Amino acid sequence: METKIGLEIHCQLTGAKSKLFCSCSCEYRGKEANSNICPTCAGLPGTLPLLSRRAVELAGMISAALGCTVPEEIAFYRKNYFYPDLPKNFQLTQYNAYGITSMGVDGIMQYGDGKSARIRRVQLEEDPGRLVYEGSMETSPYALIDYNRAGVPLVEIVTEPDFADPKDVRLFLDKVTSLIEHLGVCDTRLEGSVRCDANVSVGGGNRVEIKNVSSFADVEKALRYEITRQNSMASRDIEIKSETRHWDDARKLTKESRTKEEEQDYRYFPEPDVPSIVLGSEFPSLVSRSMPELPDKRKERFISKHGLSPHVAQVLIDNKELADFFETAMSAHYLPREIANWIVNDLMGFVDEQQKEERSILAGLKVTPGHIAELARLVDEGTINRSIAQQVLAQAVKTGEMPSQVVRKTHSSRIDDSDELGRVVDSVFKAEQSAVQDAKSNANAANFLLGKVMAATKGRADPKAALELIHKKLAEQS
Amino acid sequence: MELFRLDAMQVADGIKKREFSAEEYIQQLLERIDRVEPKVNAFITINRKEAIDKARSIDKKVRDGEPVGPLAGVAVSVKDNICVKGIRTTCASKMLENYVPPYSATVVIRLDDAGAIVIGKANLDEFAMGTTTEFSKHGATRNPWDISRVPGGSSGGSAASVASLECAVSLGSDTGGSVRCPASFCSVIGIKPTYGLVSRYGLVSYANSLEQIGPAGRTVADVTAVMNAIAGSDRNDHTTLDMKPDYSSRVPDRRFRIGIVKEFLSGADPEVAKVVYNAADILTKQGCKCEEVSLGSVEYALASYYTIAMAEASSNLARYDNVRYGFEMSSEGYEWNSYYAKVRSNFGEEVKRRIIVGSYVLSSGYYGKYYLKAQQVRSILKQELKSLFKTYDLLMGPTMPILPFKMGEKIDDPIKMYLVDIDTVVANLAGTPAISIPGGFSGGLPVGLQLMADEFQEQTMLDAASLFESVTHVQRSPDL
Amino acid sequence: MAVTKDQVKHLGWLSRIELSDDELALYAGQIETIIKYLDKLDTVPLQEVKPVVASKKFSDLRDDVAVEFEADPLGTSYRKEGFVKGPRMV
Ligand SMILES: [Zn+2]
Repeated sequence: METKIGLEIHCQLTGAKSKLFCSCSCEYRGKEANSNICPTCAGLPGTLPLLSRRAVELAGMISAALGCTVPEEIAFYRKNYFYPDLPKNFQLTQYNAYGITSMGVDGIMQYGDGKSARIRRVQLEEDPGRLVYEGSMETSPYALIDYNRAGVPLVEIVTEPDFADPKDVRLFLDKVTSLIEHLGVCDTRLEGSVRCDANVSVGGGNRVEIKNVSSFADVEKALRYEITRQNSMASRDIEIKSETRHWDDARKLTKESRTKEEEQDYRYFPEPDVPSIVLGSEFPSLVSRSMPELPDKRKERFISKHGLSPHVAQVLIDNKELADFFETAMSAHYLPREIANWIVNDLMGFVDEQQKEERSILAGLKVTPGHIAELARLVDEGTINRSIAQQVLAQAVKTGEMPSQVVRKTHSSRIDDSDELGRVVDSVFKAEQSAVQDAKSNANAANFLLGKVMAATKGRADPKAALELIHKKLAEQS
Repeated sequence: MELFRLDAMQVADGIKKREFSAEEYIQQLLERIDRVEPKVNAFITINRKEAIDKARSIDKKVRDGEPVGPLAGVAVSVKDNICVKGIRTTCASKMLENYVPPYSATVVIRLDDAGAIVIGKANLDEFAMGTTTEFSKHGATRNPWDISRVPGGSSGGSAASVASLECAVSLGSDTGGSVRCPASFCSVIGIKPTYGLVSRYGLVSYANSLEQIGPAGRTVADVTAVMNAIAGSDRNDHTTLDMKPDYSSRVPDRRFRIGIVKEFLSGADPEVAKVVYNAADILTKQGCKCEEVSLGSVEYALASYYTIAMAEASSNLARYDNVRYGFEMSSEGYEWNSYYAKVRSNFGEEVKRRIIVGSYVLSSGYYGKYYLKAQQVRSILKQELKSLFKTYDLLMGPTMPILPFKMGEKIDDPIKMYLVDIDTVVANLAGTPAISIPGGFSGGLPVGLQLMADEFQEQTMLDAASLFESVTHVQRSPDL
Repeated sequence: MAVTKDQVKHLGWLSRIELSDDELALYAGQIETIIKYLDKLDTVPLQEVKPVVASKKFSDLRDDVAVEFEADPLGTSYRKEGFVKGPRMV
């Protein structure tokens, strides 16, 4: 049966300093409850919304990056509904029913290999406050309200129902995440800075909204669960209700909302206190001027200029932090392929899945771009070989020591001194006399002797030099 | 000397020349307030201590030769829907019984900078919704000319306090005539400025797209001085326009082309119409050219006005859920929906009515039928006015179609009450300025004359008012 | 169009205002009259008219500068560790 999935992605504009309609800080995290508010975001009578120019600019960048049309003029609407996290009991948002008024419309974005999804609209709105409960929402004798978050600028990206496979949704979300990271509009590592709701229908049936999904990885899981649920209902001829379901993170399933979702009537109308904003003809050029290099361009540059493979380049740009790490390392020692491989193939092995989900890949690691650059240089110059380098990296990840320091401490640098190597070969010859005899007529036995030399030096010997020495000694003895 | 009788300009002048002190003046006013308040009930809060403190600081500045501002020492009453930091702002509602704003409205800061003294917070219809000042949690304000009658509304306390000599000038808010109507009923001057000329920051919103703060006073010079203090762009209000006007209240040399709006007169009480025609004669004798004009779309003005006002009000007043501020009522044990519904049943009858109608006109399916059409009517009205202002400097008519009526007379019939706003809502819908000036009396009851001008033509309006004032002597305050 | 008590009750719910039976009866009649008056708007020939819209230039919007408000803007005394204590959710 045909599956149709659409997405609503919310991302906080943490790249702005102040809230959307007042001068309170966007950095509400970690602050004492209700210490990051003013009369305006607390919804006091007589206050008026004062729209931030920067927030409009950042939202414009997102719209442009998603290929949306940015209109000449934008407007704000009131979405009227009561809820204890809303200081005014309406939310200032955008609405597209009477002429185009939102930040962007009709975009399209390529993702994965040759796939694309249409973007219906991009809109700018204010985040509500935060509710905290004692125990669960159901049992708490009161709701504890913190308005610190209220008014933080939020961009909502709404896609057309263009996805059929939850795996594609994941690829798309990764791309969007990388995009907003590259734009510098949103620090996706901050808890709750990006959120995603989804809607699903199978076989042309009713649409079901899924809310309360806390991470992008869970979006994929929630969708798989929901598709299976709907398919099994459809196969038993049970009609699928049009409803909102919540993702239960603990039980990994979607469930009917406990709170009665009234038939909502948002009574939208244009916000009278914010005039319609004329972006003007200079707006697109302003946006493109402040637009940094986007992931697709960056990937292309990594491939064409620095010779990376498409796969390695893709892994790097999927996470801006990683791509930046690569570029910093590369600026210390220009060994792009060596460095990229160390990051993608080895360093990533030390990052646990949890951290990958939270997109703070490098936060817990003691390794800096300088470490990887030095490691790559040591290998490139032949000071250590690859397998030693892996051990050195493991040690550096643990202690934060520089690779050269590790090498010095463990005497793991390659034995360049031919006298020292000679002594090792001598002792191997003494210990392995039958193999030595054998080797005089059998080339494979020479390799056996080399293995012994390497073992005795814990891999520090240069295999080529050691083999030469072995052959030389065999020739002397015959 | 009875200092409380002085106009604002006389007060500022006398204080600066040290003929009397600001403190003496304020003391006399406080005594006057104590004497007449039992009859008029124009105030919700009287700022005794703050007013005397400010008066003393002004006197000190005068003694030290420091600048004190054009309104030095002038007592102003401020409608209780305009925030004054640290002073209770109730909007005459149970819902804001204990609300003390932590900031001041821009207009209050500007008046303070000009040396004015906020003597108290004036009574109003709850959240400025009304035409009589009867819908107040604090009790009705009475018309000082006849205390059995209404003073008009919703800024009834503002106009009544000015007419009763409890202050020199007042700040009101005008959403559909709320400054001009009580000015007319109390025989004082009231101005509704061009939309965007005066900051609304700190004015508790009723219908944001219609309302402006405006002054009431006993002379053209006084309201002009207040306008000069408060008008001009404000960073805290996105809807203010980038300008800083400076108005004059000198009697002008020029004469005006005045259109008498036929529709405003045809619906008016003949007694009221008589005063308007008489005023037209006076102005004609002064060299003005008065002729009858038609403003056809007036027919739709009230439907448009009430649609927009109630729609915006239903949303503006949603925030009063008693969670962040309000009155004493614990939410313990309540589920949030039922707490909100219980708390909000404490709005007065008229406010509830408007919120419900506002919800109706915005609810799904009706937006295009009501709100959008109402906004289109504004466009038509604006165009029609624009073309009239090509020919005429001013439009004239009565401010109110009827004389001040008895208290309780219309309170039970909302539509009857709404209909008396017919002449004033036009300026709010079009965003244009209008002024009500005392035009005369009929059977001892005041009749206000309304002059309307094109956008930002406040000076023209003030000039005509000055001219009329200079050749007539319409009494401004009754014996109380 | 007649406005019923049930309709008024629903509007009361949308506006979160508890209305007594007497109020429902009173308002139903009054609101019907008011709505009938507002229906006047249906008779205006408006197809081509654009609604009034005020506008503002992008460059005149507020600068992105964070400023801390010096006082506690919340008047309520129902607090717990800085949080506002609101009614229960369920
Ligand atoms: Zn704020």
